[in-house]
Amino acid sequence: MAQLDKKVPISEEEISLVVNGDLYEVRVQPNWTLQYVLHNELGLTGTKEFCNDGACGACAVILEERAVLSCMTLAIECDGKTIETIEGIARANHPLIEAYVKHSCMQCGYCTPGFVVTAKALLDRNPKPTEEEVQEALVGNLCRCGTYPQHIKAVLEAASK
Amino acid sequence: MNMANDEMSKIQELFDNLRADKYPLKKYQSIGKRGVRRLDGYEKATGAAKYTMDVQLPGMLYARFLTSPYPHAEIKSMDTSRAEALPGVRAVLRYDDPELPPTADLGAHELSAVPVLPKVAHFQGQEVGAIVAADSEEIAEQALKLIEVEWEERPFVLDMEEALEPGAPLADPESYPDGNVYNQGIDVEEHGDVEKGFAEADKIIEFKFRQGLNTWVGPERPCGVFRWNGEYPEVWVKQQHPHICKRVIASWFGGIPMNKIQIHCLYQGASFGGWSQMPWNMGGHYCAAVIAKRTGRPVKWMFNRREDFYGGEMDEGVYYFKVGAKLDGTITAVKGRAVFANQTMPVFGFVRHLIDNTRIPNVYGKTEAVKVNKGPTVPVRCEQNPNCHSLTLVFNHVADALGLDPIEVALKNDGAHGHDIAWLNSRKAEMGFQVRDSLKECIEKGRAAIGWDEKWHAPGTKKLPNGKMHGLGFTWTHEWDDSAGSSEMAIRIERNDGTATILGCRSDVGVNAETAYCQVAADELGMRIEDVHYRPQIDAGFFTMTPDSSTNMSVNGFAIRNAARLLKRKILEAATSPRGVTQRGSAPPAFPGKKPEELDIKDSVIYEKANPSNRRTLAKFVGYSGAMGPISSPRGEPLPSPGEKGVSYPFTAPLFEYGWQVQLGAYAGARLRLCRQAHFMEVEVDTETGEVDVARVVTVNDVGRVINWEGCEGQQYGGAYMGVGRGRSEEVVHDPMTGVMLNGNLLNYKVPTMLDIGRIDTILVETGMGYGPYGVVGIAEDVATVIPALISPAIHNAIGKWVDGFPATPDKVLKALGKT
Repeated sequence: MAQLDKKVPISEEEISLVVNGDLYEVRVQPNWTLQYVLHNELGLTGTKEFCNDGACGACAVILEERAVLSCMTLAIECDGKTIETIEGIARANHPLIEAYVKHSCMQCGYCTPGFVVTAKALLDRNPKPTEEEVQEALVGNLCRCGTYPQHIKAVLEAASK
Repeated sequence: MNMANDEMSKIQELFDNLRADKYPLKKYQSIGKRGVRRLDGYEKATGAAKYTMDVQLPGMLYARFLTSPYPHAEIKSMDTSRAEALPGVRAVLRYDDPELPPTADLGAHELSAVPVLPKVAHFQGQEVGAIVAADSEEIAEQALKLIEVEWEERPFVLDMEEALEPGAPLADPESYPDGNVYNQGIDVEEHGDVEKGFAEADKIIEFKFRQGLNTWVGPERPCGVFRWNGEYPEVWVKQQHPHICKRVIASWFGGIPMNKIQIHCLYQGASFGGWSQMPWNMGGHYCAAVIAKRTGRPVKWMFNRREDFYGGEMDEGVYYFKVGAKLDGTITAVKGRAVFANQTMPVFGFVRHLIDNTRIPNVYGKTEAVKVNKGPTVPVRCEQNPNCHSLTLVFNHVADALGLDPIEVALKNDGAHGHDIAWLNSRKAEMGFQVRDSLKECIEKGRAAIGWDEKWHAPGTKKLPNGKMHGLGFTWTHEWDDSAGSSEMAIRIERNDGTATILGCRSDVGVNAETAYCQVAADELGMRIEDVHYRPQIDAGFFTMTPDSSTNMSVNGFAIRNAARLLKRKILEAATSPRGVTQRGSAPPAFPGKKPEELDIKDSVIYEKANPSNRRTLAKFVGYSGAMGPISSPRGEPLPSPGEKGVSYPFTAPLFEYGWQVQLGAYAGARLRLCRQAHFMEVEVDTETGEVDVARVVTVNDVGRVINWEGCEGQQYGGAYMGVGRGRSEEVVHDPMTGVMLNGNLLNYKVPTMLDIGRIDTILVETGMGYGPYGVVGIAEDVATVIPALISPAIHNAIGKWVDGFPATPDKVLKALGKT
């Protein structure tokens, strides 16, 4: 049976995150990733874990205006920072959302939020990207269902709105 | 016979349909129309779609399995005391737990009794010995490291041909004590006399190739959640077969009534068949059920990312071929032998397409399925892979050996069961199909799109300005997604707004079939597409094909159509019958004095055909829910309209119907294959590095009839990417010395990215020659299965050498070039 005296001390820390404009104060363990905190602690389940290796982009969020892989980012390092997740992009009714629906950019849909977040970060810094720039921005996002060509159409259409 | 009976007899006539659809619609509204908004689109684009991995329940524990560090080893003893003592650990379930039965039914296509927590591992990474449940996944993982196991290592074998040699280690003596090749694994398919065929040939061609192990890489890890609500289970399954999951669970713990089990089958982070076909795929749920009962807490079990890599596609093998052909490209005989690794499903063979699809009179193929110490292989989009590889390579080797254009060789040999295309055409006519030459139509469209006639050249002769060698490849086969299965679906018209809800429990695998069902229901009922909805996750008691047995639309499409046709009859009969009959009176029919056949429904409005201004919306006709009975009250409820007398708010009977369909399909050999597909690939090969760039893919599929355009095109795009990945870069690699899998992660297992294909052209052909409703045949498995081997003739056309293994990684290309 578990014994209290054998408990491993963990230096939890309270951090503040501004996620989609809302302030969260959350106690995190130092090894928790931002993906884990968003998905499991804050219930923002649109930020998906796929590869857990920084190789697929499914967990992308916008951290201080830059798309980052939240599975490779420690939550404790994000104290005081501003984060935008897929839920925030959806709440703002960004034109990418409807363009993604219209162009059927999803199959199983598990990786889709990561694409939308990456594309949003692209459009934030480059509102009128070329097809090549869209490809370059999204090349780090893996879609096992192979929906790639549809994303390019959707992002270019959203950029024209 | 009344009209409902007449409708039912038509429906039954098309059960196990072996002919053209006798009763298609005369006019289509949403079917085949572009731009139908997909039902799950907004939910998935916004991240709102929920997957099993997203489920969090109050008090939920997280469970993970111990896995074997060795490819073949037995647990002699195990000490779990340190793991049990770790704070946050709530349960450790061991293989020797008295509550675990020796075996239990743990799923697959059918029920199959296997050990719940085995004590012998037959591959490195296998879940064995123990499962730990803790307050977090992290604690569970820490606890697993504290389990001390005394292993007895056993000799192992990884290579299928080595496993056949005398004296080879037994890979699985528990199940196969007599040898690594087993009786159920030997399969022979043949027709004609191959020796006679070789004697008639002008040229004999022999070749061999090897297919490496590839896997599905489901973005969502295998996982599940089990909760006991009192005595009865509530279960979240990441599975393609919720109906089989429920059947499996019902067999546990001495039997649980089906009506006491609640299943949730949320969105699936893709699996392409894979995991759901494993004989042990419900093992996590069984363990979770035991732990949940002991702890009184819900349990989520899961694999880690690496553990998902251990299962694979069942085409890993070595293939040997001898082919005889005449100088004009007529193939006279094909003899093949293939040795496959670890097929856990019934063996499907690898020359079936040469029999089903061609006029080749003499075909013989012997399959030997061999056990090795790697993970199980199952159909992963799909079991036809070996057939497609065989057809592609046989045809292209023949074209190469005879100096012919591979398109010519295809057209010359198209047919069925040793008969030519004229014979097949007469069968098409007998079965009521419009006689179309599907292969020719597919080829004409594809060759124009890729510019075949301008670009085709002799192998190894075209160097591009960038220094790379240009290659063009072509292959073809039939469309097959219409096999065995049964399906039940129902439709209910909602009170208050008259919208329609489709009921059926299935797994959403992302192919947008849900929208396609709505299109069928809408067009059949005469409703607007936006008035029909389907949430497949509901455990509604109607078990609907999920793509399983390679079947979706061709069975489910009939089921939903049948439900819609019966429901439409019911609506029109209700519209012409008295309503709201009570002791205080009744209301006259909505369409007094009319007969059902005098009415129709269009745009969700019931109207009189001879007098369309006599109309009533479905919403108004079905009326309100709850208090809106035949008696209107003076307070709180609507009063009769001015001038109306008597019962003003007549209550119609609930409008609900169900439909079903059952068919034996192609596996029983019941159907001639009529629709064809053709694929074209353009590559650029760097002869210095061996790197192959796929510049273009043109994929042409005769789907009979398109129901949902974006869904079909999505399967073509997705199939092209998965196919190119399998053909070019994807392989699960094991260390030959230790048997340990080396690349179970997305960094080292190379799934294609957006830039891995230069351009994809998708072309759909509609000959109407599918056996499904309206002439459909499915598409979703086809492209990913046919494309992989196509890279071989494309590379051959570039460099003039055959790459004899897949994936065609740079080292294999350099080897073909004689550079290693």
